Amino acid sequence: MIRRIGSLTIKEFLHLLHNWWLPALILVGGALELLLIGWATSRPITNLPLMVLDHDQSAASRALIGSLENMETFVLEGYVDRMDRLQQAFDRGEITAALVIPPGHGSQVARLRAGVANPGRVRPTVALWLDGAESMAASAALRDSESAVQQFGQQLVIHHMSLDERALMRFEPSLRVWFNEELSEALYTTPAELGLMLEFTVLIFAALAFARERELGTLEQLLVMPFSSLEIIVGKALPAAVVGFADFWLLLGIIHLAFGVPVRGSIPLLFVLALGYVLVELGKGLVISIVSRTQHQAFLLVMMVVMVDFMFTGFAAPVESMPRVLQWVAQFVPAHHWLAILRGVLLKGAGLDVLWPHVVALAALGLVIGSFSLYYVRKALE
Amino acid sequence: MNEENGNGGGPAAAERRDTVIETRGLARDFKDLRAIDGLDLTVRRGELFGLIGPDGAGKTTTLRLLAGLLKITDGSATVAGRDLTREPEAVKPHIGYMAQRFSLYAELTVMENLRFFSELYDVLPRERGERTDRLLSFAGLTPFKSRRAEHLSGGMKKKLALACTLIHQPPILLLDEPTTGVDPVSRREFWDILTELYTGGTTILVTTPYMDEADRCTQVGLIYQGQLIRCAAPEAIRAGIGEELIELQTDQWRKAQVVAEDLPGVSQVMTYGDSLHLLVDAAEERLPDIETRLEEEGIPYRSLRATRPRMEEAFISLVRDRERERLR
Amino acid sequence: MSLRHLKAVVLKEIRHVLRDRWTFILVLVTPISLLFIMAYALTVDIEDVPIAVMDHDQSAVSRNFIQQLSAGEELDVVARANSLEEVERLLVDGTIKVGVIIQPAFGEYLVGQRGLRLQVIIDGTEPESGTFGMEQVAQRTEAFVVRSLPTGSAEWLRPIELKTRALYNPGLEPRVDLVPGLISMVLGLPALSVALALSREREHGTLEQVLVTPISRADLLVGKMIPYIAIGMINVVAIPIMAMAAFGIPFRGSFGLFFLVSIVFLFAMLSMGTLIGVFMRTQPAALALSFLVIFFPGFFMTGIFYPIAAMPDELQMEAMLLPGTHYAIITRSIFLRAVGLEILWPNVLALAGLGVVFTAVAAFFFKKRLG
Repeated sequence: MIRRIGSLTIKEFLHLLHNWWLPALILVGGALELLLIGWATSRPITNLPLMVLDHDQSAASRALIGSLENMETFVLEGYVDRMDRLQQAFDRGEITAALVIPPGHGSQVARLRAGVANPGRVRPTVALWLDGAESMAASAALRDSESAVQQFGQQLVIHHMSLDERALMRFEPSLRVWFNEELSEALYTTPAELGLMLEFTVLIFAALAFARERELGTLEQLLVMPFSSLEIIVGKALPAAVVGFADFWLLLGIIHLAFGVPVRGSIPLLFVLALGYVLVELGKGLVISIVSRTQHQAFLLVMMVVMVDFMFTGFAAPVESMPRVLQWVAQFVPAHHWLAILRGVLLKGAGLDVLWPHVVALAALGLVIGSFSLYYVRKALE
Repeated sequence: MNEENGNGGGPAAAERRDTVIETRGLARDFKDLRAIDGLDLTVRRGELFGLIGPDGAGKTTTLRLLAGLLKITDGSATVAGRDLTREPEAVKPHIGYMAQRFSLYAELTVMENLRFFSELYDVLPRERGERTDRLLSFAGLTPFKSRRAEHLSGGMKKKLALACTLIHQPPILLLDEPTTGVDPVSRREFWDILTELYTGGTTILVTTPYMDEADRCTQVGLIYQGQLIRCAAPEAIRAGIGEELIELQTDQWRKAQVVAEDLPGVSQVMTYGDSLHLLVDAAEERLPDIETRLEEEGIPYRSLRATRPRMEEAFISLVRDRERERLR
Repeated sequence: MSLRHLKAVVLKEIRHVLRDRWTFILVLVTPISLLFIMAYALTVDIEDVPIAVMDHDQSAVSRNFIQQLSAGEELDVVARANSLEEVERLLVDGTIKVGVIIQPAFGEYLVGQRGLRLQVIIDGTEPESGTFGMEQVAQRTEAFVVRSLPTGSAEWLRPIELKTRALYNPGLEPRVDLVPGLISMVLGLPALSVALALSREREHGTLEQVLVTPISRADLLVGKMIPYIAIGMINVVAIPIMAMAAFGIPFRGSFGLFFLVSIVFLFAMLSMGTLIGVFMRTQPAALALSFLVIFFPGFFMTGIFYPIAAMPDELQMEAMLLPGTHYAIITRSIFLRAVGLEILWPNVLALAGLGVVFTAVAAFFFKKRLG
């Protein structure tokens, strides 16, 4: 049996070699694509266009504008003098945020300086308008401008009231970010991108295994040969597993070398778990392959599965904030557990002692998907 | 036919006008392989021209070049009076091309396939009904017209493909191994159809691996390594090989084969059912030698006689000559 | 151009889709059902961010503070840690996103206005929840500090108040703008179908028989696109209805404009699919290239999630070559900003231009030849 599986596997590998450009396209193209996309999305959200409506035109208002302008987050798009111009700019999608400084801001700030005894009554207020039609950018703009304005205000108080700087700082919690000390965007984005690319690579090879042969009429030929269905399945699956596994290390190399994603955990552990994950996805792909009558159907299903799974990689939204039903569904998505494992091993240096629930879940999914695909594929082949 | 505006006189002009396919020094490269290498082919109007040759000799490539499916690397080709290198699209309405592999839409029915091609060939709607009906009955497909093409038998698929290539009544037909993989009955039917078309005046260029089919052609071209090495009527080819044939019927043909191969003057021994065919330089001269030798070896035989070489023997002989020449 | 040829190709392609029930269902319903699932997954009120608290003070003030933290929906105190190691372990295994460490004498210091003895640790690996959790903790801490300090001194923390107002989407709910944006992604599926349809003809050899007919290249390519544009349009009509009814996404602009612009977008997208189909000889290769140039960049480079303004300049240029980028701008503008052609014309023009260029390049490279 081993020998026959071997010969079948060799046939599949020869087929792969003969059509070398397909794995080449996916491996090389995918690697280049990951580089490109990683490059595009690995920077903190910056350069958001900001417009200013300064009704006050005082030294104080200019200083405030300067404090926002000096941040990486914003690029000053220009000044306007009327509200409707702001509305226009938002309608045109030209700006992410607009700072509106009301008249009298300067004198309020002056009173703020003078009224140390009772500053609460003279708190100056400025407005920030945001473009809700691009919520990701708007949220970043909101976050950054809030802290900028707060800092700016504190500096004002400190400098002009000759206050002890430490006196203020003492009332802020000391903050530390673990696993991503520099808050590098690449550490958020590239593992999710890797996950998506890897899943696609494994699925396409697994999905074409049977659907293609059936469509081109060569499946019959395979079925009349003296192979058991188990042997056929293993023979088909092995090359896909090898390609997928190789792809993982290729992609990992890219995000490590090009985007500085660290590998803090154990590489042998990652080796074993990556192999396991590839096999689980492979099982999924084989099921798609066998339920599809044509490649057209199989490939539409692959795209659908890949795009749905993308929602569970944490790139778009954190899974724990999704509706209960989807959190439950996420438990059945291998990519969800895989991303937790990948982030855990790469960024947190986690080991089996903490990752075991995800590993168990992945193993269970693998077992279910694997036996289902074995059963189903065998039934379909007979 | 409407492809010429011929008004020239003289026998040379008449011959040129009668030529519907002509290639001069035709060549086609695939990467570093020269598949067609200076092919000179002439097919005249009304001929049933069979192109034969071993696998990989360039039959399919030749047909694809003539159908405008491949770019010509070198040389010239004219089909229906149009230069293929300059205006390949202008040739298309005048030819019907049938690919070797089944190339119709498997998920469409017989009728839908016919209709699809009738529209691509701009068959007028008022003619379409009558023409498809005629082709369906011509090809014997009328009872299956609403069956999906994928559910047809191999022979019916070929006939449907032929019907689709005939939908615009092309004066020239290019058929690439139309009977490969078809049972003998269907093969015969298919050839009956071709003969009928030929009788109706259609020029047919057909490739085939079957030598008995080559015998049914009016003209046979033997293609070898991308070149046309012989082109004549079938009888002329059979007669012109310079070798003769001896047929030997024996029960111990394995043993006889070994013996016969070593005899002087015998160039080739072929098994043919329970008989052996021996290609020899001169049959009458060699017969007594062979007889003596068989008796020496104690091989009983039922008959031993000189016979006319068939197309198959002619083909093998020609190819072997060519190979010998090349080695030298 | 020949209308008869075009019609023949269109009918043939429609028959291919209709003949197999599964193919038909898949081609028709994948876009809208995919968008439904994605929209559902984007139902994100970031709430219940899991945090752990380590209370080394154990005073009335610290207990009060913890109560303040767990009030409301946003934060969920899932663990009380006793040591820093425990906090670390919880962060590593992902049980919590934020660890709050109340240091000894927290209450004493606060009451005596001597400072805040509080440390916050956040998980820097998750894009959203860590940051959000940190903001929530900071806000509540500030509110707590303000209440604990005598009036007057607390305002020093925020001397200038920033009032924010989000237009079009007051709650800055991601779903409201992501769903219109993602329409461009799901409409990539008809483009994939067209790429597969073309490469399938090569794979099955059916192209050979068509190439010897007098059909023009443009008729053949455009004829293949039309049925999938039609299928895409069915989705274009159904998607806003689904988005409004199921998810309460506002549709403020002109539906007629949305419909027309979507035709242009589908044309551009399917031209891209056609271009892929012209170059790829097998269906798996067509799928692979479609993923690499349509779907993968679609998620990350068309500004749906990650703002285009934040990308390097070189890539902003490239993003403009993707039909999805323009369409995402258009859909958001029509759905949310209620603007019309007077503002969107450059994007519509860009889509039309991309479509024409892609089709022209496809027709140019699509020789009526084999090999």
